[in-house]
Amino acid sequence: MGSKKTESLETLFETLDEVVQKLEKEEITLEESFILYQQGMELLKKCSETIDNVEKKVQLLDEKGEYHDF
Amino acid sequence: MQNVYTVKQVNAYIKNMFTQDFMLNRIYVKGEISNCKYHTSGHIYFSLKDQSGTIACVMFAGSRSGLSFRMQEGQQVIVLGSISVYERDGKYQLYAKEIILDGAGLLYEKFEKLKKDLEERGFFAPEYKQAIPKFAKKVGIVTAPTGAAVRDIINIASRRNPYVQLILYPALVQGEGAAKSIVNGINRLEEEEVDVIIVGRGGGSIEDLWAFNEEIVARAIFDCRVPIISAVGHETDYTIADYVSDLRAPTPSAAAELAVYEYMGTAEIMKEYERRLRRNMIQKIGMTRQISKQKELKLKMAHPRQKLNEKRQRLADLEQWIQMDFTKCLQSQKHKFAIYVEKMKGLSPLAKLSSGYSYVEDLSHTNLKSVKQVALEDKLRIYMTDGIVNATVTQIEEVTADGQ
Repeated sequence: MGSKKTESLETLFETLDEVVQKLEKEEITLEESFILYQQGMELLKKCSETIDNVEKKVQLLDEKGEYHDF
Repeated sequence: MQNVYTVKQVNAYIKNMFTQDFMLNRIYVKGEISNCKYHTSGHIYFSLKDQSGTIACVMFAGSRSGLSFRMQEGQQVIVLGSISVYERDGKYQLYAKEIILDGAGLLYEKFEKLKKDLEERGFFAPEYKQAIPKFAKKVGIVTAPTGAAVRDIINIASRRNPYVQLILYPALVQGEGAAKSIVNGINRLEEEEVDVIIVGRGGGSIEDLWAFNEEIVARAIFDCRVPIISAVGHETDYTIADYVSDLRAPTPSAAAELAVYEYMGTAEIMKEYERRLRRNMIQKIGMTRQISKQKELKLKMAHPRQKLNEKRQRLADLEQWIQMDFTKCLQSQKHKFAIYVEKMKGLSPLAKLSSGYSYVEDLSHTNLKSVKQVALEDKLRIYMTDGIVNATVTQIEEVTADGQ
């Protein structure tokens, strides 16, 4: 399981942590920070996509593997 | 119609029969505890049962000193008490004064045996426990489609995060075929590749919960590659399923909390990331600007014009300094001069002349201070304030110091 999915929120947050930590270092150049900033924003966008802000209805799964509204 | 009695009369009559019965007033009854309820008033209501049937029991709060352990479903006990009639319901029940454990109940024994067995086979080993995903998108639920458990799970889950997909497998959770149904549910949901599965039901007696103590359920939970949270009964109920599952939740509501991440909290985390990214970028740009400004300033300072201006300034300073020194020197000389003038004034012979004295000299400009310096007919010059008198000596008189 899980393989068909895109990156999970957990890994996205981990990557975000790395990006922000790098960005917080003072010795990086301005160009590098622009790249990191863009990466961070891109990751946040992915997070929102992963959360998929559409309300879900509870689905009922029967023995035949068919779905019904609960 | 003769001899018609009221309910009250009949119940009172029967009650009286019970109270007069010597044996029923003090009797030991053994059986298995079932449907045990600790009421908030302190009274405990339960049933004693064996293969043949059940008898209702109550232990009033005032008799609680006769009970030294927490009663649990399935325990085999011996109860000392009296049997009497509860007239309002028209039922007889056992009023317990003392309760002691009579070995482990049959189901309890079965439970302990399976638990020990599975434990030895490593079913409960922590190294087989799978981590519950922090951000599950699809949550499978195996429980009865009616009842408080499923309602609690759905309520809590949708309150925490309405964007998480809940998939319910409506399972039979007690009675014939329950274990099989639970196993099917777990397998079906595993095939659906949900991120986490909640398996559970609401509270009940040990018989009600028994499906969760079956080995096939334990095996299905153990074999499932999707992490499973068990939520069977109340906080105090422990089933085999709870031991095998990857995580045990005390109640179905708690299971929903463990399985479904909070959307608000996550959204806040994302906002915080965005804030940090922006803040750092702004800071970085600000810092770079600052550095470039500093460089610009340094460059300006290094310009030859700046050097020239500095030298000019220095020159002007020196000039002013010399000027000041010179003026100071002149002043002090002027002052000295004034002092000398005053001194000279004091020493001038003219001052003496003006107060009536005269200065006498001979023609060779010798100052005459004694009569012995002159002779008769000598020419003298007498200086006065306003001029000179040329005189001739006509007489010489010597006067001694005492005036004679």
